[in-house]
Parts: sequence; C-alpha cells; structure tokens
Amino acid sequence: MISADINVVLPEIVLAVYAMAALIFAVYTSKDKAAGLLVWVTSAVFVVVALWIGMGGNGTKEAFNGAFVDDGFARFAKVVILLSAAAVMVMGQEFMAKRDLLRFEYPILITLASVGMMMMVSAGDLMALYMGLELQSLSLYVVASLRRDSARSTEAGLKYFVLGALSSGMLLYGASLTYGYAGTTLFDGIIASIGDEGISLGLLFGLVFMITGLAFKVSAVPFHMWTPDVYEGSPTPVTAFFATAPKMAAMGLFARVMHDAFGTATQDWGQVIALLAVLSMFLGAVAAIGQRDIKRLMAYSSIAHMGFALMGLASGTATGVEAMLIYMTIYVAMNVGTFAFILSMEKDGKPVTDIDSLQMYSKVEPLKAAALLVLMFSLAGVPPMVGFFGKLAVLQAAVDAGMVWLAVAGVIASVIGAFYYLRIVFYMYFGEERDQALDTSGNPVLFGFLMLSAFVMLAGVINLFGVDGMAAAAAGTLVN
Amino acid sequence: MSLFLIVALPFFGALLPGIMNSAGRSACFGVTFTVTLSAFVGLLTNLPTVLAGEVVMARVNWMPELGLNFTLMLDGLGFFFAFLILGIGLLIIAYGRQYLSRDDHMGEFFTYLLLFQGAMVGIVLSDNILLLLVFWELTSLASFLLIGYWKHLPEGRQGARMALAVTGMGGLAMIGGMLILGQIVGSYDLSVILQNREAIQADPLYVPALLLILLGCFTKSAQFPFHFWLPHAMAAPTPVSAYLHSATMVKAGIFLMARMWPVLSGTPEWFYIVTTAGLVTMVLGAVIALFKHDLKSLLAFSTVSHLGLITMLLGTGTAFGALAAVFHILNHATFKAALFMSAGIVDHEAHTRDIRRLGGLRHLMPVTFTIATIAALSMAGIPFLNGFLSKEMMLEEAHHTVLFGSHWLVPVMATVGSLFSAAYCFRFIGHTFLGPVRDDYPHKPHDPGAGMWLPPAILVVLVVVIGVAPFLVQDFVFMVTKSVIGEAAELKTKYIKIWHGLVPALYMSIIAVVGGLAMMLVFKPLSKVWETTPRPEAKVIFEAIVEAIVRLAQALTHPLHNGSFTRYAMIGIVAMIAAGYHAWATGTVADPVRELQAAGPVPIAGWAMLVAATGGLVVMHRNRLLALILIGIVGLMVSVGFVYLSAPDLAMTQFTVEVVTIILLLLALNFLPNRTPTESTSLRRVRDAGVAIAAGLATFGLAYHYMLRDTVAASISEYHLANSYKGGGGTNVVNVILVDFRGFDTYGEIIVLGIAALLIYALTETLLGGPVRRRLLNRIPDQARSGDMHPMMMVVLTRVIMPVVLLVGFYIFLRGHNEPGGGFIAGLIVSIAVVMQYMASGFSWASARLKYPYHGVIGAGVLVAGLTGIGSWFVGKPFLTSDFTYVRIPPFHKFELATAALFDLGVFLAVVGAVMLSLESFSRLARRADTEDSVHPMDIDPSRNAAASGSAVDMKEDT
Repeated sequence: MISADINVVLPEIVLAVYAMAALIFAVYTSKDKAAGLLVWVTSAVFVVVALWIGMGGNGTKEAFNGAFVDDGFARFAKVVILLSAAAVMVMGQEFMAKRDLLRFEYPILITLASVGMMMMVSAGDLMALYMGLELQSLSLYVVASLRRDSARSTEAGLKYFVLGALSSGMLLYGASLTYGYAGTTLFDGIIASIGDEGISLGLLFGLVFMITGLAFKVSAVPFHMWTPDVYEGSPTPVTAFFATAPKMAAMGLFARVMHDAFGTATQDWGQVIALLAVLSMFLGAVAAIGQRDIKRLMAYSSIAHMGFALMGLASGTATGVEAMLIYMTIYVAMNVGTFAFILSMEKDGKPVTDIDSLQMYSKVEPLKAAALLVLMFSLAGVPPMVGFFGKLAVLQAAVDAGMVWLAVAGVIASVIGAFYYLRIVFYMYFGEERDQALDTSGNPVLFGFLMLSAFVMLAGVINLFGVDGMAAAAAGTLVN
Repeated sequence: MSLFLIVALPFFGALLPGIMNSAGRSACFGVTFTVTLSAFVGLLTNLPTVLAGEVVMARVNWMPELGLNFTLMLDGLGFFFAFLILGIGLLIIAYGRQYLSRDDHMGEFFTYLLLFQGAMVGIVLSDNILLLLVFWELTSLASFLLIGYWKHLPEGRQGARMALAVTGMGGLAMIGGMLILGQIVGSYDLSVILQNREAIQADPLYVPALLLILLGCFTKSAQFPFHFWLPHAMAAPTPVSAYLHSATMVKAGIFLMARMWPVLSGTPEWFYIVTTAGLVTMVLGAVIALFKHDLKSLLAFSTVSHLGLITMLLGTGTAFGALAAVFHILNHATFKAALFMSAGIVDHEAHTRDIRRLGGLRHLMPVTFTIATIAALSMAGIPFLNGFLSKEMMLEEAHHTVLFGSHWLVPVMATVGSLFSAAYCFRFIGHTFLGPVRDDYPHKPHDPGAGMWLPPAILVVLVVVIGVAPFLVQDFVFMVTKSVIGEAAELKTKYIKIWHGLVPALYMSIIAVVGGLAMMLVFKPLSKVWETTPRPEAKVIFEAIVEAIVRLAQALTHPLHNGSFTRYAMIGIVAMIAAGYHAWATGTVADPVRELQAAGPVPIAGWAMLVAATGGLVVMHRNRLLALILIGIVGLMVSVGFVYLSAPDLAMTQFTVEVVTIILLLLALNFLPNRTPTESTSLRRVRDAGVAIAAGLATFGLAYHYMLRDTVAASISEYHLANSYKGGGGTNVVNVILVDFRGFDTYGEIIVLGIAALLIYALTETLLGGPVRRRLLNRIPDQARSGDMHPMMMVVLTRVIMPVVLLVGFYIFLRGHNEPGGGFIAGLIVSIAVVMQYMASGFSWASARLKYPYHGVIGAGVLVAGLTGIGSWFVGKPFLTSDFTYVRIPPFHKFELATAALFDLGVFLAVVGAVMLSLESFSRLARRADTEDSVHPMDIDPSRNAAASGSAVDMKEDT
C-alpha cells in the first residue's frame, strides 16, 4: 500500500531528497563556491525528472487515499514547471555570480519550490494543496529577498511575505469552511457533497475565500499588488523565475481546485473568475503603458497574461482548461526568452532595466533585436507568432462557453496591451540614436535561450509542437 | 498549379534573395522575379476553372483543436486580387531593381517584399477566417519592415510606428469579430460562413462582430477616422509605396469588406457606417491631396480618397455598387501604381518630390510625362480612359443613394469629391510637367532607362485599352462581381458602356472636370487660404493621444502602486470583503438551527473590557508601553473567552503564550523609541477605520452565522470523547489528542520547535558577529537608563515565587492527562519561572547559574519522546502506540501510569528548551557589550554593603 503510494510520488520524493543531499553537500564542502556547479546539476536533474514524468506515466494514479493525484493534467503542468525552472536557473547563473548573489541555497530553494509546485498541481485534497502551496511560497519568500543588502529587495520580499501570509490565511479559512460544509478535505468528497440543488452557502464562502487566496498566487487583480514591487525589487534571475514556473503551478492548482473540487458548480465560480480575468487584463494592459522599467513592465504584462489564462478557466469547460494550458505553456516559453534578453541587458557591466536604453538597439545587435521583436509580437498576440494561438484558444473557449462579453473585453484589452509591446519594438528599430548603447558582449547561454525562444515563437506556427494535442489530452483528464 | 504552392512560393522564395545577396544585385532581382512569375503563372493555370464559375479548394488540417484549418479557396474575387498582387508585384520588382541605389541592401528589400507578397496572396486565397487573420497581421509585419527599410530617415521611423500601431491594433480587434462570426455560424470556413447570411444578420451579436471587423478593415484601408497613417507611411521607398499603399495592402480592408459583403451588407448598420465613412474619406482625402506639395503625399491622399470611394460603393449594398467597386479597384490599381512609379522616377531623377521646386519637366522627361499624364487624366475621370468608366458608375450609384433621408447628400458630396479629385490630378500634371523649364532643380533630370519606365508604361497601356474597349474586361469584371455578391443580390446591369446618354452622372462628371480646371486657375489664392486655415494635424494628434494615454496610464497606476503597504493590504482586504459579500448575496442562507444564548453580566463585562482595551489600543497605540499593557488585557480577555467557551486547555495555553509574548515584546521595547510618530493624515485614518470596521463586521457576521448553524458532517469531537479514555487512558481529550491520537504530529512539532529555536540562536549569533554588533555598541539610548537595573524588590519576589511557579508547572504537567493541563502548558509555565530570573537579575548572573544548556534540554526532550515511541516496538506495536496501567504503591492510592506521560515529558522538555533558547537569544541582543553586566543578583544589596564594611552579619554573596 505505502510502497504503491510512494511509487506515485517518486519524482517529488527524488527531488526533495536531492535538495537535502545538495544542501548537505554544499554546507560541508565549499559552500557558495559550489553554487555554480549546483545550478547546473540541479537543472540537469530537473530536465531528467521532467523527461521521466513526461515519458513515463500514463493514466490516472492516486496515492495516499486520493490526496495526491498523478494524471495527465498534473504531468503536463509538471513538465512545463520543471523545464522552465531549469532554463531560468541556468540563465541567471552568470548574472548572479557576477553580482555576488549566487548562494548555494538558491538552487536548493528553487528545487524545494518546484517540489511544492509539483505537489500543488497534483493535489487531490485540501491539505495536500496547502502543503504544496506553502512549500512553494515559503521558498519563494526567501528567494524574493535574496539580495539582502538591497533595501528594495528586502522590502519587496517583506511585502510579498505579509500579503502572501494574508492570502494564505484566506485560503486556509476558505479551506476550513469547505471542510466544515463538505465534511471532507478530499476533492472527490467535496464535489460529491454539492447536491443537485446547488452549492450551500457555507461551501460558497469556502469557495470564494479559496479563490481569493489562489488569485493572490496567480497575481490576479485585485490581489496583484505585490507583483510589480517584487518583480522590480528582486534580482532579475529571481524575477525570471517568478514569471515562469510558479505562474504555471498556481494556474494548474487553480484549475484543479475549481474542476476537481467544485466542477459541478461552474456557474458559481465562472463569473467570479471572469471578473478577475477582466480586471487583470485591463489593469495589466493599462498600467504597463506608463512603465519605464522593463521588469516592472513585465510584471504588469504578467498580470494581463494571467487575466487571459483565467479567461480560459472562467469558461468552465474542458476546452477552457485546454486553452489555459496552451496559453500558459506559450506564456512560459515567451517569458524564458524575454528574460534571457533582460538578463543580458548591461551597460558598462552593470545591469540596466530602463526601456530607454533599448533605443536603436537594432543597430547595435540586429540579431538579438530581431529575436526580441519576435517575442514582443508574440507577447502582444500578433499572428502568426505563437502567442496569437494562445490568445485565440482562450478567446475561443470564452466564446464557446457563451461569454462573448468576456472575449470582446479580452480583445479590447489585447489591443491596449499591444501598445507597450510595440513601443519596445519601436524603440529598438525607430528610436532616437543614443551614444550609450548597451554592451554587446553576450553570454552564450542567454543568447541561446533568447534565440531558441524566438525560434519557437516562429516555428511553432506549424503545429505548436503538438502542445495543443497534449493540452487537450491533459485537460480531458481534469474535466470529464 | 496547387493553391498551396501559389501561397508557399513567395514565402520559400523569400529566403533566396537574402541568401543570394552576395551574388549581386541582378541575381537577387532574378530569383525574386522568377519566384513571383512562377506564382503568377501558377495562378493563371487556374483561370479557366475560375472563369467557368467554379471554386478551387485546397484543404489540409492544421490545428483542428483550435478550429484552424489550412484551407484555401480560389474564386473570382480571390483570383482578381491575387492577379493584381502578383501582376503588379512583377512590375514593382522590375522597377525596384532600377530604383534602389547601389548602397541599398537589395537582398533584404526583396526578402521583405516577397514575404509581403506571400502574406497578401494568403489573405485573398484563405478560406479559413482565422488563417486569413494570420496572413492579415503578417502583412502588417512585413509592411512594418518595408516601411522602415530606410531606417536612417526619421520620418520613416515615425511613419512605420504609426502605420503599425494603427493597422496592428485594428487587426487585433478583428480577431474578436472573426471569433464571434465563427461562433454564430459554427465554422471558421468562409465557404460555410458565406452561406449563412440570414443567421448572421439575425444574431444579436451581429453588431459587435460587424464593428470589430470593420475596425480592422477601416484601419487597414485608411478609412476615416484612421486615414492619417497612410500619408505618413510614404517615407518608404517608392516601390514600396506603389505596391503597398496603392495597389495591394491598403486594399486588403476593401477585399475583406467585399469578401464579407454577402453576409454583412444590406443592413442599416452596414449601410450607415460604411457609406458614411467612405464618403467622408473620399471628400476629405481629395481636399487634403489638392494642397499637398510633396508628390507622394499628394498621391497618398488621393489613394485615401479613392479607397473611400470604393468603400462607399461597397457600403450602398446594391449589386451595381459592388460592380462599380470591383471595376474601380481594377482601374485604380492600374493608374495609381503607374502614378506612384512616375513620381518615383521624378524623385529619382530630379532628387526632389516637392511640386513647388518642379515644373517644366515635359521637355526634359517626355516619356515620363506621357505616362504620368495619361494615368493622371484617367484618375481625373477623362473619357476614353478607364478611370472615367468607373467614376461614371460611382456617380450613377451615388445618384440613387439616400443617406440620412437626404437625396442630395451623397450626390453632392460625390461631385465635390470628384471635383477636388480632378483638381489635384490637373495640379499633378500642370505643376510638375507643364510650365517653363527651370534651372534650379536639385539635379538635372532626364528620362530614365527603359527598365524603369517600362513597368508604368505597361500599366498605362492597360489604362487606355480598358478605357477604349471596356468589353475586353467586361466578362472578367462581371465574373468577379458575381463572386462578390454571391446570392445576396442580383446584378441587373449587363454591359460596361462608355456612353450612357445624357444621364445625371454625366452632368456630375462634367461639373467635376470643369470645376477642377477652374480650381487650378485660382489655386494660388486658394492655397494661401488653406495654409492659413487652422486644421488638425493627424500626426500631432496621434502623438498627443499617445502622450495622453501614457499619462493617463501613469495617473491610474501611480496612486494604485505607490509602494505603500497599507494601501496594498487595504485593496486586498476590501476585495476580500467584496468577495465574501458576493458569496453571501448569491448563496441561499439556511435557517439557524439554534437559539441565541442569553448573555449574563460576567460575559458582558468581559466583552466590554475587550472592546474597551481594543478601542483604547487603537486610540493610544502611539505610546508603546501603554499599547503593550493594553495588548496584555486583550490577550487576557481572549483567554477568558476560551474559558467561557469551554476550552480550558486552549485558555491555559493562550494565557501562558500571552505572558511569554509580552515578555518578548518588552525586550524589543528596549530598542524602540517611546512613541510611534504620526505619519498618516486624519483622512487616511478615517478611511482605514472604515475598512477595519467593515472587515470586523464581516468577520462578526460570518461568526454569528456559523455559530447558529450546524456543519454538514458530524463533529469529530464525538469520536474523541468516546475513545479518549478507552484508547488513551485519559479523560482530558485535548491532551490525549496531543500525546496519543495525534502523537506523531506532536512529535514532528516538537522537532520543528527545536529547529526553530536553534535557528533563532544561530541567526542572532551571526548577527552579533556582524555590523549589528557595532551598531549596538554605538547606540545611545534616547532615554536615561535606570540607575537600579536589578531592583531588590523584584529579585526577592522572583526568588520567592520561583519554587511556587515550578510546583504549579509540575502540578499542571501531572494532571494533564485527565484534567486541563499537560506538557506543553507546563513547559511554558516553567519557562516563565526561569525567564523571570533573567529579568530580575540580569543575563550574566542567570546564565552563570545554568547547569544544562538549552540545546541539550531540547535534545533531551526529543530523545525522550522518540524513545517512548520506539518503546512500543519492543512489544510488537507500531511506533508511538501508547499504553497505560494502574499501579498501587503504598501508602498512595491506586494511580495511573501511562506511557503517554513519558511522551508528554519529552514535549515538556522540548518546549522549555525551545522557549528559553529563543528568549535567551533575543536577550543577547539586548546586552550591550559596553555595559558590564553585574555579577550580583541585585544592584543595591544592603547585605553586600554590610559585608564590605565588615559588619557583624556574615552574609555570603550569592555567587
């Protein structure tokens, strides 16, 4: 019994044990000097585990009496989480080493956060959900304030922590209400307790407060307040991490709770999530226009993108979940490339994040500028870049679910949002000539990821690398 | 040739010029031309099928999950546009070969051009509207690259920026329209959509779909009010202007309107929006064009005007209008491309496009003059040229169109538009080519080589041929028109004729041409009036709008994200209250199952104290010591509340934790200023008070609601009450849960507690080694220190109390299994007893008397608990299985011995160790290295003084 359970959670256990082993290894050997090595090894481990998960299992397996579910949906999300985390970690290595930020705890914390995320997307029980969520959040709180000597970073970390604690409290409150009115913490049991006459008030309260807590994790408006400060204050590699894997995990968890535990009450949560989606899309799009700092801009951009992903979820259908998964995968792939570029933005060896520094960048480095152009168009959702297909999928899901108003709002938001992505392109191609251009020397790792990401955005037009099929299969296991 | 190949050829071909750039300009040109020619020939092979009225289809599945299929369709309309795109493309490529100078990067240029060509062909051949969207935006992208090809020109940059911003956003808006259309019909295939006129027009979503699609069309085709971007895009090389901005890209919007004509047209919404926009654009463009001095600007605005004309014709929704529109598209493409190329030749030869610096070129460039004049006259609507024919048809259609209830509005506007149109054509000819030869050209012009004038010449031949013998293209035009209107309307006209008799259209035409000539005579004064008239400048407005948007965005964002944590928290809390209210409002509220209990005077007094203390805290929190005292009262009352609600264990724990917390806060107070400064305005405090009260009321509401109702499942308490004594041997359920039912949890918890304490120790240790130590050393207290830091009263009192407190702890520990109490609470009580010694006599004195280090105590606790758990293995039971028995040792009564008590001992030790270790660590911060800690238990000790003065009482120093 227990060995069968352990078999199901073996990837998580392997990663957790790896984190402990790495910690002990680093503490008893060369400490921070081993950090560079650890980053690469951890990334390699992530990739191996991702392959293992992706290739290995099929079907749906449950462990610990249903508290942990290993199905197509979870596997899809886990592969995206692990691969993006691996990519982002490797990308940030040189940046952190240069600025004396590369602590050996960094890869270990990322590993623990990833274990938490894997737990989140596999949660089949409120307790498993909370455990995964907190493991992830606690690691992220620390990572956010990694730059201890910077007041900004510390402040960002502290804000994140306090607001995060507040939202965790809300989530917990919602979870306990749900438990009180469903009599069980298992998702199966919760969904079974929703009768034909609809959801009871107690459960509805539980649902609403859990949505509140989860909305914080995906940084949906109005629970997004931490995002811009944390994105700006954290060291860029950490920001890059925040923008990728945790977003996927939180979205996955969101979808799982909504469908597994409240799947028969789509009417009750669809409207709430639709509202979150609209607010996020518009606030993200409008607020980003006024930003000069590219990291802050990406923070608002991520808020807007989460709005779009939530739009897929709000439709409450299998198509919606599929669209959300496609959207998130594409989003993560775009962000890896974009942050590879942001990480490489340096002037006289110092990192710069002002978008003004990109003026006429196409003259300095035409190839990188072209790659960023592709990424920006993709982020804006302009066809034929892959970003368009993600938008198309969520818009379709909303229209099919009869939420035409939501889709129209999404279209308008994407029109507004296109403004600031295009502005970066204008700066690069048609800006004013500046004397102090960015440094041209490039880190091959960053260059590689940037090019790869841009290439994916272009070549994906052929068949999205089959992601749509995989997402459809994954969504099918969640919604039935 | 397969449709796939026709679309794919330009895309694959686009790779070649880029690669072959080093092979020379001719090679680049050669491959580009060959690629386009093959596509063109491939298209022509399909002509017989299309002429037969059949529709060629090609289909391959692409992303079926998204409804995206790579489906192509070639009907009359598609063929017509593809023919224009590829045909004019060939001429442009030939022209561009000559036009671009040696310094220009030719491979890059042709790559972009082919990319654009492929996208355009894709648009007109798409059967799937999503595929069409993809190609649609691809043209925006390719045009962006083409317009920006001459990056060194600042105006080119501006133009590219505006063009992309306007058309790109329009395209994004169109996605929405297409999705709605697909949703209504249930398919994204045009061939299906076009069959569903009734369904679409009856749908309530017809209007939003129409608006979104028209937004895309109008931005792309530069219709009012989006007409401003087109002239600014003219900074591009002339071949680009000729190709994109007259013949193809700007017609994409027109194409889509024609494509969607059968399903969208005919409704009042369509008629009013499209016709009005077209009419306004036509007149506005013509008027502005007349006064432009830049040849290309003039042509650009004339293009805007003609696009407006076509739009208006499509807007009328009649079959004749569609016929006129199709015919004019053909004619406009021929004469306008020829005009652009002529203008390019003039620019190329004379090195200027400013009409004011030109004139008299007739003698210097006779060939160019002939070409340009014929094309311009055609545009002006002179008979026997093709422009005349379609303009007549337009005026005829205008004559029958009633807009806003007026019979006069459209005909008059159309005549005015034609009048200005004729005027600028005459100006184009007159001011550029006629007049005396000047001697101040920036460069002495002469006719270029045949390679450059041949492409426009071919077009001009077409202009004349169609103008003289319209029957040659008549069948083709009718065929295209039929595919535009589908089954939505019936075409009654049978022929395209030059002479219709003395119809109103002819009079209107005559008025226009004569008026145009007359206007040329008074051009100078008119121009002066125009120059002095203030008018909105599109570029300035665009910039201002952009500026305003940025400022608006900042105005919205800055107050929202000003970095203030309270604001963030407030927004979050308000949103949570709103979410809760939403749940309350939408859910069904069940009836309460119990009555409200009557409250006695004691609970009410307690409640009043709690409220008073909380209220006082809010008012007086700036005085920190006072705040601490009030917090103590709040904590005490909360503990009492637990007692009242029958949770004695919880109350005891809460109570002891309160004490420890207050002690900890007292330690912190030592480092903090006396008062908190006031930073917030009173308005903000009112706001915060409002939010706080709302949140409090919401919490109260929830609690009230739940306390009167049962949860859905039976409470787990029943099980514990029934099994506590039977299974765990104790009657105190809470303790039994802790040490027995959930012993494993507790075991984990004490380990975590120990780790936390060790961590605090490690952190403070590191901290004291770093810069913090220096700051502590240099710290100047803001208040005078007490001279008597360890007062005698307190020392004596704590010493006396200590055994009492220890005894209480012991008692609580022992009774824990059956009565409220237990290891955890006992641990806290004992800790308090020890902490008091620290407070009374100082750190050094107390720690010097410490026999066992706290680390060890924690370790011992965990060990004891663990060993107790392991003990059960020896009797073959799982880890932590508890057991109990009754023994009787005389002279005592029979009493119970439970292994759980041993486990509880472990808990007790761990708690003592952890609390003490953390308190000790914190208090280390309080010790400033500069002050010598006393070795005496109290600062002022009468007995010590007595001993020092050699008095009789020999009191040993307590060392």
